[in-house]
Amino acid sequence: MILTGNKIKEEIKTGNIIIKPFIPDQINPNSYNYRLGSKLKVFYKFDGNKTLFKEIKIPKEGYILEARKMYLANTKEVIGSSKYAMSLIGRSSMGRCGLFLQCSANLGHTTSEHRWTLEIVAALPIRLYPGMIIGQVSFWRNFGTVKKYRGQYGFLNHPQESLVPLIQQKKL
Amino acid sequence: MILTGKKIIEEVQKNRIEILPFDKKRITTNSYDLSLGDTLIRYKTGVIDPKQKTPYEEIKIPADGLVLQAGEFVLGNSKERIGSDFYVPLIHGKSGTARMGLFVHVTADLIDIGSHGVTTFQLYATLPVRLHAGMLIAQVSFWVPFGNIVLYKGKYQNSTGPRPSMTYKDFKYDIFKKN
Repeated sequence: MILTGNKIKEEIKTGNIIIKPFIPDQINPNSYNYRLGSKLKVFYKFDGNKTLFKEIKIPKEGYILEARKMYLANTKEVIGSSKYAMSLIGRSSMGRCGLFLQCSANLGHTTSEHRWTLEIVAALPIRLYPGMIIGQVSFWRNFGTVKKYRGQYGFLNHPQESLVPLIQQKKL
Repeated sequence: MILTGKKIIEEVQKNRIEILPFDKKRITTNSYDLSLGDTLIRYKTGVIDPKQKTPYEEIKIPADGLVLQAGEFVLGNSKERIGSDFYVPLIHGKSGTARMGLFVHVTADLIDIGSHGVTTFQLYATLPVRLHAGMLIAQVSFWVPFGNIVLYKGKYQNSTGPRPSMTYKDFKYDIFKKN
């Protein structure tokens, strides 16, 4: 079952859902609109194992993404839940601009809580502004006992590139 | 919880789910197949600025179809008007269209409860693909909500064709200007 906007508000009060900062205006009938953080990681090289990114601060006047290139960014908000699973997706308003907010990895694990890394791909060149409303997150009831998330990413608060190459080299 | 095809039929009959026109043959085990309308929208700009209205052109899909090239992005719509005040619709591609490399939405599968209208498809081709008006291109599933329902009253309500982004409206009251 997917939580309604009202239920999300209630669960923020009880502490079962964390959204910080929380702005009630950003509640939708079934989700919460999240904002873009202030940093962007821009891909520049593949070294044979790892994709290398350089980090930039998104200027106030915006930053133009090139079409069909992947960028990393993060949500402005810390988002998490000890009780519900999450689905972090784009919004129809941004989808209508051709902006992917993740690369088919929408599932947020119950008990993770952090500023989520966004995997951004633009189908068309587009200007992004720091702090703009860019995507939405929904919350889903669990069926079964919840086990604490023990992954590598669930507590990170910056745009984090993949740790898969390090794991493959057994450095993690 | 996701509704079964049988449950979708029941809820359409009780007017708790709107699918217009509705054809029982299009029901699948857990969804309903949606067809592509005859109009597409293509933006006419170098760089999209979400703070501004983006100029666009409308294209009618010719009788013999229209080829989207790899990397091309256009908006289309479902021929069907869909919505529900009781369940949450999610849009998916059909595996048949996905196997041709076609995205039907761009990471925005969730439709608000209470939203009614034809749904806008965000068509992104990763390989060349020929689109035909009326082709079965997507599917909609319905999910049970948890909590008190407040219905959608947003900017895309009652759409009758593909609708370009109105995200510039989000900047009007934006609080980050103050930060």
